[in-house]
Amino acid sequence: MCMIHQWISKGLIVLALSMVFASAAGAARLPYVYTDWQHFTVKDGLPNDHVFAVEADETKVWVGTENGLACIDKRTGKVKSWTEAEGLPWRVVSALDMNPKTGELWVGLFGGGLARFSGGRVDHWHQLNSGLVNDVVYGVAVENDNVWVATTAGASRFNTVTGEWTIYTEKNAPMEEIWNYGVCQSDGKVFLSVWGSGILEFDIKTENWKDYLDPDGEMEIDLYRDDGIVHVITTGVSHVDDVLWVSSYFGMCRYDGRYWRGYYAHETGLPSDFGNAVKGRSADEGWYATDKGVGVVTDFSTDTWITYTMDPNTHEGVAVVTRNKEVLETVRSPRGIPHNYALWVEIDGDDVWVGTSKGLARGKGAGYYPGLKERPLHAPAAQKVVQTGTSK
Amino acid sequence: MSRYLLCVLSIVLILPSAVLAYGTAQRQPVYVGVKACAACHDGEGMGHQCSIWQQSKHARAYAVLAQPGAKAIAQLSGIPQEPQESVMCLGCHATGAHAEDWEKDDTFFVEDGVQCEHCHGPGSEYMTESVMRDRGKAMAAGLNMPTTRDCMVCHQVKGSHVAVHSLPTLDVLKGLRRIAHPTPEEWKYSDPVALPAGDSQGNAPAHIGVFKCGTCHKGPSMGYQFSKWRMSAHSRAFAVLTTEKAYEIAKEKGLKEPPQRSAACLKCHSTAHHDPAGGQRDLYSVYEGVGCEACHGAGSAYAEEARMTDPRAAHTAGLKEVNEQTCLRCHENAHDKPFDYEKALAKIAHPTKIEQVAEAPHYKTPLNLAILPGGKELYVACEASHTVIVVDAQSRRKIAEIAVGRHPTDVAFSPDGQRAYVSNRLDDTVSVVDVISRKEIGTIPVGDEPHGVLVDPSGTYLYVLNTSSDSISIIELATQKEIKRLAASRNPWSLSLAPDGSEIYVTNNLSRFVPFRTPSMSEVTIINAKRNIVDDRRVVPAANLMQGVDWHPSGKFALTTLNRTKNLVPMTRLLQGWTITNGLGIIWKDGRVDQVLLDEPGMSFPDPADVVITPNGRWALASSSGSNRIAVIDLEKMIAMLEAASDHDREHVFPNHLGKPTEFVVKHIPVEYSPRGIIVTPDGKSAFVANALDDSLTAIDLERMEAAGRIDLGGPKEITKIRYGERVFHSANITFHRQFSCHSCHPDGHVDGLTYDIEPDGIGISPVDNRTLRGILDTAPFKWEGTNPSLQRQCGPRLAVFFTRIQPFTDEQLSALDNYICTIPRPPNRYRPLGAELTDAQRRGKAMFERTMTNDGRLIPKGNRCVTCHAPPLYTDRQRHDIGTKLKWDRESEFDTPHLNNIYDSSPYLHNGIAETLEEIWTVYNPDDQHGVTNDMTKDQLNDLIEYIKTL
Repeated sequence: MCMIHQWISKGLIVLALSMVFASAAGAARLPYVYTDWQHFTVKDGLPNDHVFAVEADETKVWVGTENGLACIDKRTGKVKSWTEAEGLPWRVVSALDMNPKTGELWVGLFGGGLARFSGGRVDHWHQLNSGLVNDVVYGVAVENDNVWVATTAGASRFNTVTGEWTIYTEKNAPMEEIWNYGVCQSDGKVFLSVWGSGILEFDIKTENWKDYLDPDGEMEIDLYRDDGIVHVITTGVSHVDDVLWVSSYFGMCRYDGRYWRGYYAHETGLPSDFGNAVKGRSADEGWYATDKGVGVVTDFSTDTWITYTMDPNTHEGVAVVTRNKEVLETVRSPRGIPHNYALWVEIDGDDVWVGTSKGLARGKGAGYYPGLKERPLHAPAAQKVVQTGTSK
Repeated sequence: MSRYLLCVLSIVLILPSAVLAYGTAQRQPVYVGVKACAACHDGEGMGHQCSIWQQSKHARAYAVLAQPGAKAIAQLSGIPQEPQESVMCLGCHATGAHAEDWEKDDTFFVEDGVQCEHCHGPGSEYMTESVMRDRGKAMAAGLNMPTTRDCMVCHQVKGSHVAVHSLPTLDVLKGLRRIAHPTPEEWKYSDPVALPAGDSQGNAPAHIGVFKCGTCHKGPSMGYQFSKWRMSAHSRAFAVLTTEKAYEIAKEKGLKEPPQRSAACLKCHSTAHHDPAGGQRDLYSVYEGVGCEACHGAGSAYAEEARMTDPRAAHTAGLKEVNEQTCLRCHENAHDKPFDYEKALAKIAHPTKIEQVAEAPHYKTPLNLAILPGGKELYVACEASHTVIVVDAQSRRKIAEIAVGRHPTDVAFSPDGQRAYVSNRLDDTVSVVDVISRKEIGTIPVGDEPHGVLVDPSGTYLYVLNTSSDSISIIELATQKEIKRLAASRNPWSLSLAPDGSEIYVTNNLSRFVPFRTPSMSEVTIINAKRNIVDDRRVVPAANLMQGVDWHPSGKFALTTLNRTKNLVPMTRLLQGWTITNGLGIIWKDGRVDQVLLDEPGMSFPDPADVVITPNGRWALASSSGSNRIAVIDLEKMIAMLEAASDHDREHVFPNHLGKPTEFVVKHIPVEYSPRGIIVTPDGKSAFVANALDDSLTAIDLERMEAAGRIDLGGPKEITKIRYGERVFHSANITFHRQFSCHSCHPDGHVDGLTYDIEPDGIGISPVDNRTLRGILDTAPFKWEGTNPSLQRQCGPRLAVFFTRIQPFTDEQLSALDNYICTIPRPPNRYRPLGAELTDAQRRGKAMFERTMTNDGRLIPKGNRCVTCHAPPLYTDRQRHDIGTKLKWDRESEFDTPHLNNIYDSSPYLHNGIAETLEEIWTVYNPDDQHGVTNDMTKDQLNDLIEYIKTL
């Protein structure tokens, strides 16, 4: 038998087996589930297990922790770290963003201002030696030649070419409060998530501001659903494919430029309404880091979610696929996220990185596909939504 | 019209624009001009205050800038503009020179020179009678009652003015008496001078006033006509009617009215009364005396440019021909004075064409050079002539000169040899030169003060080092657009591509910022040439002024030139070469860094500027711009010496060992003045050296290792005093063992960024920051403690005592050096290009700089305002002040006030260089508001203030 016939025969056999298995286990249109997780903790060379920020580039992953900065070589898995003893100007690294053009890593320091890590040299800007508005930095974003810094006393925009610092506070931006939690940029816009001011959008060309607030004005309840941001105390923002993903301490939401969609734990796959951060992968897929695990909108149009948690008893990973609260699939893996208190999510091609209060996890996305796909179930679906662990 | 009505009318005319300009609750004052002040401050009842001013030199301060002496001063001061357009000159020769357009009303004219508001402050907010009657209120509204200190901001001796005019030191009290214009105790307003009504039909042309004429008839292209009139007695014709002599004449003639109110006097002392014509337009003022229209006729109908350029049309519209009769109408037998028409005409002559003054010789000053692929031609970047000179490599003759941007510094070719790229340091551009047509065909904007340039082997990218903005521009040559800007260290200078094309090494002229009183730490910035990102930053400890760089063909290491400046200890060990040593850095690909000296005992190698390695890798040539020599280095021996040594010796002994160079420096080849860039031909047979201060190249025969001839680049043969001074500045001949030159600490007249422990007063006492020489001319006294009153003293005895330790400069050398230093210009301000408006942040910062009140409404004492001590135009009052920065190492607490021009470019700051950034001056080192009241400022206000300061 010639090779091609052999190959076709083998393929037919595999196909036939697959169909048998599918009919036995039940095939459905399901999202990709991350089941292969790798952990990085102090034991692996991280300077601290409290991971506040992760930034991935082609070959490296930068990790901001409570006691220093780390860099993981993606090829070798080797971890190099910098603490204050190694020249980092401040111990707590709360935000990271890479300038893809220059390869410079911009580092937000919680209490220490802003640093630039380039070619092994650290340059440091703080409120005494520069125009940075405040040293308590929550977020950093590179926009063209500018670096935006979200701080506890407003946002700063640093022009790296002219050296000019511009401060945005209640004086010149629609900030009810000046406590800026997060910042991101894309498509000519910069978005700030501000405690008490929802999301502020800055148009780079016109330098005009637009605010996204909770129109019902209620702090305690979401009076009219999907009327705007679920709550004005926002904690994170991510803008991708013209869609705004927003996290807050009281629920999450998504905005496509016309319609808002609010998400709450009691009606979606969100493990909690207490969102620490959000990262959009596309208009259809958004990852929310919460205090009780990671909730992922994997397919917006069908409202399909995956909830990633760690089983506190077995320390196994648990991924629950739901749609309209119906559990479609529960997938257990030897490892999941290392802790359910998730602080950051970074999308890295097909992989994802999740920073938690007990280390960093890399979800390896071999065979990743966006949206839904007809595929067999990993295991029979559970009857009810799995109550995930809440250990902190 | 009553005096009160005139006041009210003036205010009505002026205030709306002030309101429009600000439109905020806190009104900022606007300059309103002399006419508004004169509305009240003239006439007998007010002591003829305006007329007294008009007869003073202050009123002609702007006009004198049209005289040749002003140009000479400007040239001496490195001011490239017309004096009447330079804010530096206008700062003391006019009013409101540093005010924005929106801070000047339509009634204000810079041509009035130093008028009331220069000393008393812009008047819009205090000029109303109700405010002026209450001194406190008026002062709160901006009225300034000047003290002698205010006068001295402009009237302190300026080196440039002494050099040209030999002006004596001003006796300020005498000067004050000369311009005294007291308000009488029993003051009262006088009625305004009644102006003739003009013809009743309204058809005759009206007087438009001298300022209207002056809008066109000024500047060199029009023979400075306005200024010539202003310097003449005609412009004071009305004002002189207040003199005792005028009163005597009036009395003799039996006139009852004061002369300024007498029609008989005004007939020849005012344009309007001389020829009533069709009345007067708004801008006309009787204070102009005998203006243009007195002779040329009322101008409303002919003043338009279209008419004035057509003589017949102008004549038809009323432009009169001037002849003897015109003058005789007033001057014939006037007050029994004889009148000589020819002489009088010569005195007031104002032709449109002015005599051309012979220009100083233009030198070439070749700095760096490149060889065309194929090796046939050399392109030499010539800083002073703003050209690239093409030299035929075979015949060794100059064959062309191509005009490029200003201060070309370095040149690189595209791999196909079709284009040359030239960095223009003064223009912040790269010139694109078409090699075939030998013409500049375009420019590419880059960062501040571009220096080194390099094209990658594929011709895809151009790398440009921006020395002043500490960055590297990467240009995509297909689009000629900058695609990214990488952060260098400080003052990136030269660059070289590794033989395998993987990495580019970039030298940085200045050390990184280091903690106070710690050794310098220079950086070689390493660019990953595949990804165009910075991959590594190699530290070269204790080195500074790293300039030339070249890779060894093996790809194992690159060589760089460097200085090792011992700035932290006094120069007590000069004998052991312990002040500045000069050498090479060996930057290994594997990460190691070695340093060796090129100095030898008794014969230093000052100011190594460039290094190049022969294609076979055997030899390196390094230029010493301070001793006019090229060192030939046997690299085999040098590398063998390093490899045989212990790590300890390589790290701690060799970098300071004066005995080692004899092991690998095999020869010194003498060349001409100030050798800078060197190149070797691809066949390895020849090298060429650019002799910056000789306008020549030296060809070197590499087989014989000897100079093979001088290639003249065509500079002038005459060596001016300034050029001679430039050579003295760059020569190390004056220092013990020729260790260093002025250029070693002030590279190209600027700063080396170091803090020095100069005096033999004990280690660590009175460390001081090095200050730039750019634009230093009129900022005496010198030295942070302000003890040297002149550059001659600074560079003469002081230099010999504390620096050079041998015989001081001769008088001739010192005088020439002084002249040269005076002409080191400030580059154009990068934060505010000439003529550009302030940005919003800069404008807000200006208000902070000039503010008189704190945020909570407290009056800031005058002595504690930014603008008091940093007064324009130099932004220094040239006095010493205690601003609370004395540290335990300092002997004094009062320090010289530095000028602020281009201050962004000379960090670190404060007398001891302890503040790395402008922000730190106030956030860290001004806890008690001694250095201006700043602690009430919000962070955004401080940011605005700094944005403004950077524009000065």
